Amino acid sequence: MLSSIAEKIYWLSRYIERIENTSRLINVNSDLLLDIPHDESNDLKHLIKITGHIKDFKNENTKENVFSFLIEDENNPSSIKYSIEMAKMNSRYLLTMLPKSAWEQFNNLYTDFNNNDKKNSEDLYQIIRNSQRFFAIISDGMQRNDVFNFIKLGRFIERADMLSRIIEDQILRKETHVNKYYQNLQWSSVLKSINGYESFKTLNKQNLNQEIVLNFMIMENLFPRSIKYCVDKLGEVQKYLPKSVEIKKLTKILLDGFSKSNIFKNDNKILKQIDNFQLGLITLDKEISQRFFSY
Amino acid sequence: MKNQNTQNNNFYDEYLSDKNKPRRLFSSAFNYFFKHSPSKKKLLAKVRDSFIKTMGVTFRVYDNNELIDREWPLDLIPRILKEKEWIEVKIGLEQRIKAINLFIHDVYHKQKFLNQNPILKSLILESPNYLKECSGVVPKNKIWANISGTDLIKDHRGKFYVLEDNLRVPSGVAYMLENRNVMKKVVTDLFNKYKVLPIDDYTSQLYTCLSNASYKNDYKKNIVILSPGVFNSAYFEHAYLAQQMGIELVESADLFLSKDNFVYMKTINGKKKVDVIYRRVNDNYLDPKVWVKDSILGVPGIVNSWKEKKVAIVNAPGSGVADDKAVYAFVPRMIEYYLGEKPKLKQVKTYLCAFEKDMKYVLENIHKLVLKPVNESGGYGILIGPQATKKELKEYKSKIISNPRNFVAQPLIKLSTTPTLINTSIQPRHIDLRPFILSGNKTFITNGGLTRVALKKGSTIVNSSQGGGSKDTWVVS
Repeated sequence: MLSSIAEKIYWLSRYIERIENTSRLINVNSDLLLDIPHDESNDLKHLIKITGHIKDFKNENTKENVFSFLIEDENNPSSIKYSIEMAKMNSRYLLTMLPKSAWEQFNNLYTDFNNNDKKNSEDLYQIIRNSQRFFAIISDGMQRNDVFNFIKLGRFIERADMLSRIIEDQILRKETHVNKYYQNLQWSSVLKSINGYESFKTLNKQNLNQEIVLNFMIMENLFPRSIKYCVDKLGEVQKYLPKSVEIKKLTKILLDGFSKSNIFKNDNKILKQIDNFQLGLITLDKEISQRFFSY
Repeated sequence: MKNQNTQNNNFYDEYLSDKNKPRRLFSSAFNYFFKHSPSKKKLLAKVRDSFIKTMGVTFRVYDNNELIDREWPLDLIPRILKEKEWIEVKIGLEQRIKAINLFIHDVYHKQKFLNQNPILKSLILESPNYLKECSGVVPKNKIWANISGTDLIKDHRGKFYVLEDNLRVPSGVAYMLENRNVMKKVVTDLFNKYKVLPIDDYTSQLYTCLSNASYKNDYKKNIVILSPGVFNSAYFEHAYLAQQMGIELVESADLFLSKDNFVYMKTINGKKKVDVIYRRVNDNYLDPKVWVKDSILGVPGIVNSWKEKKVAIVNAPGSGVADDKAVYAFVPRMIEYYLGEKPKLKQVKTYLCAFEKDMKYVLENIHKLVLKPVNESGGYGILIGPQATKKELKEYKSKIISNPRNFVAQPLIKLSTTPTLINTSIQPRHIDLRPFILSGNKTFITNGGLTRVALKKGSTIVNSSQGGGSKDTWVVS
C-alpha cells in the first residue's frame, strides 16, 4: 500500500472514531444536566477541555454556545464539524481503498450531518449510529488487509486517547464542582459516555466509586472501551504490519504505570500516570508516522 | 393523446419520426416514460438521485471560485442505438484510430506525411502539442494513443459524423459505467424489454490494454494511475478506474526515480517498481525537468525513463499532437495515405484559417459557421455564428485575423435530439456521443459510450462543466 494512502486511512479512522466519541460525550453530559441542579460551577465548559481547545472558546459560557462550539464550529479543530470535514478530505483519496459499502456509509454520515440541524440529541445519535455502522461494515465484511490494519491502528489510538482525556477530566473536576452526593451520578455518566454502564454493572454490582470505575475503564480485559483493551488491539494489529519493532516496543510499555498498587485511589498518582500514557501515545503516533507515512 | 413539444422539424429526433410517433424500436422506451404520471416521474428521479448520491458519483466544478462536488447529472430516458448501425461505426472508428496512431509515429520519426503536406507541417511544428523531445521514441507496438475518446454527432438525417478526436486524457468512461449501474436499478422493468449489450467489461479491457503497453514481458506488472489529485474535475473517474482494476492510484508525490532511472512508488513496505503509468496529467505537467518547470503534478526525470523504455507512459507523451482541430481536417487523407482505404466514418467539413482561401471564406461566412480555437477542450472559446451577436462576431473576426493558425471553422451541424426529462415533461434536447477506444494488441471499442446531452433548451453545448447532462447509451440487438 502507498504510504500516502496509509496515512489517509489512519486519519480517516481516527476522525470517525473521534466523531462518535465526541457525540456521545455531548449527549451524555446533556442528559446529566437534567439530573444535577444546574449552577455556574456545573457548566459544560469542561467538555471543551476534554477535547482540547479551550483557548479557542471565546463566547459566553452557555450550554448553547458550548454545544455549538463542539458540534458545528468549523474553526474549532476539535469540533465534530471539523472532524467530519477532515474525514471527508481524507476519504476523497480512499475511494479505491474502502469497500464500496463503507464508502457509501461514510457518504451517508457526511450528508446526514450536513442535513440535520445538529442541535438535538437525536441528531447526535444519528451521528453515533452512522459511525458505528461504518465501523461495523469494516469489521464485518472487509478483507483483512493493510487498509484494515491501518483503520484499526487509527481507531484504537484515538479511542485510548479519548478515554484518557475523559478520566483526567473527571478526576480534575470532582473536588471543585458538585458535592459528594452527585459524584456517583457523575461516575455513572462517565461510564455512559464510553457506552460502558451496562457492562460495568454486570461485573460490579456494588455502588460506584472511583477505584472500581477506573479499574474498569483502564484495566478491564473484556470491555472494548477500556484502555487495556485498546492497547491489546494495537499490539494485535502490529503482528500484521510490515517491520515495526520500535512501534511494538512503544505499545508494550504504554500500560506499565497502571499496574502499581493503589494507583486508582490516589488522584495525583493517577493523573501523573495518565499524563505519561498520553505522552506515550504521542510518541507512538510519531513513530507510526515516521515509519509508514513519511515520504 | 397528443404530446407536447417533443418534436422539432429542424432536427433529427432519434426517438420520434416526422409524424411525431416513436419509431418502432423506440416505442417501448418512449411509452414507458410518456405514460407515467408526473408524480411517478418525480419518484423515479428521486430514486435515481439517491443512488447517485450513495454511490458518490460526482464531478468537481468551480462555482464562484469555490470547488464543489456536483452530483452527476443523468437523464433517465436512455439513448438507443441499433447494434447493426453500431457495428458500422466501430469499424470506422478502428480504421480512424489506426491511421491516427500511424500519423503520430510518423510525426516523431520520418515525417513522411508532413513532407507531403507542407502547410500541415508548418502548423504541426509550431503547435504547442508537438513535443520535439518525443522524437525517435518507439512506444510498445508503435501505439501512442492507447486510450482515446472520439466525439460523434448525428446530423439532421441521422447519420453519424466524427466531431473530434480526444487523444490526450479523454474522460467520461467512469460515468458511462456508473450511468448503466444506476439505470439497471432505477428502470429495471424497461431494461428488461430490450436486449442491451453489456459495457461492464471495459475496465478489464483497459487493464489488458495498459498491460500490453508495458515493455516488460512477464505477467507481474505494476500498473498505476497517475492523477493530478483530488482537486481535478475527473478525480472521481481516476479513483473509480483504479479501484475497478485493482491497481494503485498515485499522485506525483508517491513516485520517485532511482539513480538508474527506474520509477518507484513509496509504500509501507518500502519502494516498489512501476512498469506502466496510466497518466491523467497533461503532457506539459508530466515532467518539470522537461516542460512546465514548476509543475507539482509531475515527476522529475520521468520522460527520460520513458525514453529509455524503463517505464511505459499511457497515452504516450506527445500524442496530443493529433488532438488538434487542424490535424482533424487531415484525418481522411491520413486514412488513405497510411491504410490505402477510404474513410468509413464521415467527418465535419473543416476550414483551417491558416489557409488563406479558407480564412477568406470563414470571415465572409462567419455568421453561418461554428468557430473553434484549435487547442481548447471542454467547449471553451467556441463561437456559434448563427447564435452570436454582431458585436461578438466582430470581436471574433479580429481574433482570427490576429492569429489565423489558432482557429478552425465548421458548418453548424444540426445535432440530433432525443426526448429528455425536464422536470416532469418530456422535451427534445441535443446530444452527442463519446465512445472509448482502446488500442493494444487488439482494438477494443465500447458498446455505445457516454451520451452527453445539452439540458438547456436549444443549446448544443453538452459539456458537464457547462451545464450538460448525460444519458445511458443502449446498443440493442
